[in-house]
Amino acid sequence: MTDDPRDDAALDALFQAERTRRFEPTPDFMARLEADADAALPRSVSHPQPVLRRTSWLAGVFTASGLSGATLAGIWLGFAMPESFDAFSLLADSSVELTAFLPGADMGSLFDE
Amino acid sequence: MDQRLSHAPDAARDVPDDALLVSYANGDALAGREMVRRLSPILFGYATRVLQDRAEAEDVVQETMLRLWKIAPDWRQGEAKVSTWAYRVTANLCTDRLRKRRGSQINIDDVAEPKADLASAVEAMTDVARSEALTEALNTLPDRQRQAVILRHLEGVSNPDIAKIMDIGVEAVESLTARGRRALKTALSGRKEELGYSDDG
Repeated sequence: MTDDPRDDAALDALFQAERTRRFEPTPDFMARLEADADAALPRSVSHPQPVLRRTSWLAGVFTASGLSGATLAGIWLGFAMPESFDAFSLLADSSVELTAFLPGADMGSLFDE
Repeated sequence: MDQRLSHAPDAARDVPDDALLVSYANGDALAGREMVRRLSPILFGYATRVLQDRAEAEDVVQETMLRLWKIAPDWRQGEAKVSTWAYRVTANLCTDRLRKRRGSQINIDDVAEPKADLASAVEAMTDVARSEALTEALNTLPDRQRQAVILRHLEGVSNPDIAKIMDIGVEAVESLTARGRRALKTALSGRKEELGYSDDG
């Protein structure tokens, strides 16, 4: 058994030199491993779209639908409101509604006082 | 974590191993290929050093990766390092092959006592001779010692990780590597005369 520190240094030098030796797998072997990985890919999931791509797509749909929805609503209001919405007639109708809710109330006497 | 990489191969390089494995389990083929690219060269280098046979090393690495794909759906992130798990499977497969190959381990007591100091012997060797000498000396070690020494001194794995790979305590790793070093010094010193260098010549 050697306890000489120089022997430890020599052994470390051997390790150091050996670490520089690389054992690289061949491209054929790597291709085989990739084929194995593809073949073993879990079948329960049928190659779904990537999350980021899917969310981007969804975001696009929402953005497009939001803009177009707002535009369509604006156009519809522009055309439909003048006919179906009459602010003056609403005011006139409101008094009718008020007397209906307050039977016996004499609106004229209120103003007389 | 459902992080798919098919849309961005370059992004895969920044994803942790366990996230890649989970992504693979969720059907991301590119994540599997990235795992092959990351792990296989490391495992192959280790298996080749241990077995000293490229064909056998390929078999062992292929089997390790197949087992990895099999457990991928059950992998729980954060519980273990994928690389440590893979090293462990590879180490066990190497041990099985070594046992079959040898039938029995060489006892450390069977290694010859040194006949000269190692430092002068190593100095006299050429690079090729040094590599061959170290390889042959490693082959004289018992399997567990050899694997511990290779992991520690050639693969650069930390003692705590070696402990997990070999399923032993850190102190046992330290003991294995220390005994391995002593045995290597002994074996290499014995090569001095074999290589034609001696104290008096």
